[in-house]
Amino acid sequence: MSYFDPGFIFLVVPILLLIYNLVPKKFRPIILLVFSFGLFIFISKWLVVFLILSILTIYFVANYLDKLNKKRNELIKEEPDNKKAIKEKYKKYKKRILILGIIINVSFLFFFKYLNFFATNTNLLLDLFNIDFKFRIMSFLAPIGISFYTLEALSYILDVYYEKIEADKNILRVALYLSFFPQIMEGPISRYSDTAKDLYAGYKVTYNNFCFGYQRILYGFVKKIIIADRLNFLVNTVFDNYHTYSGATILVGVIGYTVMLYMEFSGTMDIVIGIGGFFGIKIKENFRQPFFAKNISEFWTRWHISLGQWFKDYIFYPVSLSKRMKKLTLKARKILGNRFGPLISGAIALFAVWSLNGLWHGAGYTFLFYGMYQFTLILLGNIFEPTINNTCKKLHINRQNIVYRVFQSVKMTCFVFIGELFFRAPTVKAGFGMLKRIFTDFNLHNTLKSNQLFTLGLDIKDYFIIIVTLIVIFIVGLLKEKNHNIRTEISKKNIIIRWMIYYMLILSIIIFGAYGPGYIPVDPIYADF
Amino acid sequence: MERLIEILEELQPDVDFNTVENLIDGRYLDSLTILSLVAEIEEEFDIEIPTVEIIPSNFNSAKSIWELIEKLKEQ
Repeated sequence: MSYFDPGFIFLVVPILLLIYNLVPKKFRPIILLVFSFGLFIFISKWLVVFLILSILTIYFVANYLDKLNKKRNELIKEEPDNKKAIKEKYKKYKKRILILGIIINVSFLFFFKYLNFFATNTNLLLDLFNIDFKFRIMSFLAPIGISFYTLEALSYILDVYYEKIEADKNILRVALYLSFFPQIMEGPISRYSDTAKDLYAGYKVTYNNFCFGYQRILYGFVKKIIIADRLNFLVNTVFDNYHTYSGATILVGVIGYTVMLYMEFSGTMDIVIGIGGFFGIKIKENFRQPFFAKNISEFWTRWHISLGQWFKDYIFYPVSLSKRMKKLTLKARKILGNRFGPLISGAIALFAVWSLNGLWHGAGYTFLFYGMYQFTLILLGNIFEPTINNTCKKLHINRQNIVYRVFQSVKMTCFVFIGELFFRAPTVKAGFGMLKRIFTDFNLHNTLKSNQLFTLGLDIKDYFIIIVTLIVIFIVGLLKEKNHNIRTEISKKNIIIRWMIYYMLILSIIIFGAYGPGYIPVDPIYADF
Repeated sequence: MERLIEILEELQPDVDFNTVENLIDGRYLDSLTILSLVAEIEEEFDIEIPTVEIIPSNFNSAKSIWELIEKLKEQ
């Protein structure tokens, strides 16, 4: 099951919209909830139990935290002189409840995603010490979207704990927040304060929302069906048999994988945001032209934004601004100065963020390596920033100059390619093997002469279609970067031009889409994380 | 407020903190500078800034940082 199933998008969703609009306003959220649970059960069957358990735990934990907040405030009113002691006492109570909520939710995630990884590695260790005991390796499917909805669940109880929001008394709204069907498979990881109110508002589906929604969905289809699905065979062939290919072909495979990942994931986000828009729900953008970033650090504020923001809010700042770390920062600043002083606590927090970010994507050494690779790049970027700034000043290099900006983007993109190579490689060793071949056996002449690039399921026409579509997507990105709201601008055009654009989108998907015999559509990549 | 401007200028000498209103969104203050700033403000004004308050709207201008300090002092 994928959001790109035409039957789902062009038959099931319109029927849902019709029913949703026909029922009275107060029942509309229930329709969304029933549909979301129906889809979850359709995909994950009885594993819906774990989603329900997550909903119940965060509902009760949040309400208990709220109760403690209210009780604490009452006590402070009665005994204002004891304010500090009361606050401390209740902080401890709240922390215990919060930790309980976190442990329950994280344990589900750990059980489904990481148990086998840890069991396998423990078995290897036991083997090493000749201990005759082995953990059983079990194989089971995880509930769909568990990595996404668990982070949403944690953000909800953490926000209530920090008193950023109040606990919701309506369990159905909490349930809809966690299970809303467009977001369940690949996010984005929304915050309760961003979507819950609108989700439960029961806004009518308007003509404008309908048109805007389908425009966005069609754009997502262009990315997925014309580009990502077309590249699937090439990517799988190169990564699975890299030792038989030249460095040039491997590089094409790596670039192909990065493009495929971007098109699949951002295309899915187009669909998610489009579906949310039908119901008047503004789901936050998860991508903001990532390849226009100046460096890796900025790249991560533009790619999978909701995940980066989650780690920043709930891991980076809580770790780097813990009491001990703050003391460390103050001491280090006095010795190392303003730039390098906070770097120690920043680096420790960054290490925690990227270890968890790597592992969040999957239980495997390639993901952990990928996380450490990003950590190293960002840390080095921070260390060398003052040196680069000074060098640019001395050499009178204008950093806003277009040539310098292009140089920055190309350098950053090369780093991204290497990261994605390890991300997709079957093992870390294979990743290094591929990287080595790119640098030591590039062999462009022989690659072109032997037509190796045309043995990967794509002919010249396919490469041409991919490149032209990418140019169109690049132009759209450039316009967005310059703050043009393309959808609003299209809606202002007269009806003939508007429908010409719609027809062009539909026809391009039908004519240039990669489907039928010989094509295997890309599985929703992020749904596996 | 003057002391706050001094702290900010010490951390980022090239920025005019009396006028700039997009310190976070304009990337004048990065995550590392925020770490120094928070530690310094807490020590100077004897307050504790909860991590939940570290959001762009609280740190985008010297004025908004000052308002945050005032709010936390009252608590």
